[in-house]
Amino acid sequence: MTEEEKFFAWLDGELAPAEAVEMAAKVAADPRLSLLAEQHRNLGDELRGAFGPIAQEPVPENLQRALRSSGNVIPFLPSRTRIMPGAVQWAALAATLVVGVFVGAMVPRPANAPIELRGGRMYAAAALAGALDTQLASAPKGDVRIGITFRDRAGEYCRSFTAAASSGLACRTGGHWQLKGMFGAPEGNANEYRMAAGMDPNLASLVDASIAGEPLDAAGERAARDRGWR
Amino acid sequence: MTQSLSFEDQLAGLLPRLRRFAHALSRNPADADDLTQATIERGLRSREQWQEGTRLDSWCYRIMRNLWIDTTRASSRKMAREAPEEEGLNVGEDPRAAMDAAVDLKRVMSAMGRLPDEQREIVALILVEGLGYREVSELLDLPIGTVSSRLVRGRTALLAMVGRE
Repeated sequence: MTEEEKFFAWLDGELAPAEAVEMAAKVAADPRLSLLAEQHRNLGDELRGAFGPIAQEPVPENLQRALRSSGNVIPFLPSRTRIMPGAVQWAALAATLVVGVFVGAMVPRPANAPIELRGGRMYAAAALAGALDTQLASAPKGDVRIGITFRDRAGEYCRSFTAAASSGLACRTGGHWQLKGMFGAPEGNANEYRMAAGMDPNLASLVDASIAGEPLDAAGERAARDRGWR
Repeated sequence: MTQSLSFEDQLAGLLPRLRRFAHALSRNPADADDLTQATIERGLRSREQWQEGTRLDSWCYRIMRNLWIDTTRASSRKMAREAPEEEGLNVGEDPRAAMDAAVDLKRVMSAMGRLPDEQREIVALILVEGLGYREVSELLDLPIGTVSSRLVRGRTALLAMVGRE
């Protein structure tokens, strides 16, 4: 895979977690790549915005007839089309526009880089670390949005987030937020989007592999924050 | 959940997405609906070839794509003549109109229509239909590296066409 293909694979959530973290850091550190990520994310939204409504239209009568001609009467369920991926693209678009705004803010002046590398591990830093420490999912603020918060199998707190051109998962280790994975696709923050389309599939499988029990509810999240994630 | 639905029910549930894919492949709505209809008919005729438990959507996308390839091969020269005219129509547009979201949507659709077929189908499956690289590689019988490189070329050309570079 060329570097260019790797960049796009990252954008599409197709890279394995370790490679994705590497590419996310590279993109975050390179204004040109951050801009390109934003442009291509917008392009994807435009494409889905252009073609998405076609899947919301009632299916033309002649097509329904073509199905019925097999001898069976097809009950057509309009509600089903509501949960088609296309139905949520507008919500996703809205979510991504917010991400677009982050990009400018997240392009590092090095002192402000949202990710730092220590001993071969990636940790949240600067605004990202601050958001993971204090922000609640219900109150997105600034450059970062928090998704779900849960305890992993080691009993440590983990939080999913969306920041800049990425979504990811960070878990508490030795008083810091260690990044377990970062992926190209934003997690999304509109309820409809999250319910219907889910988070980035790679992020979702990382969450599945890490989570013990259920995500915290809003009260649990607040209490855990107020205890300093201990 | 879907296992209790009949083949026709499942196909009916897929129709909105199949139509969307048809619109992304075809250059005009009438062709898209003809393609969808042909796909339904072929799907119903070949239903024994679909294996329960495998993805019906991928199976239908594949039928649709193969039917589309057959028809575009027959009419590709006609398309090539029409495309420049379509581009020409955009030249005189007031650039301020590009701020209008509706114009943006038309522009990106028309840009899709100008992509080479082998890039357009991959852009449509991955960026519009939301399939993964591996699914597309299996669906099109192409190595995943080919899918990936065509996707890069296609989206790069699209971005250039919609004037965001």
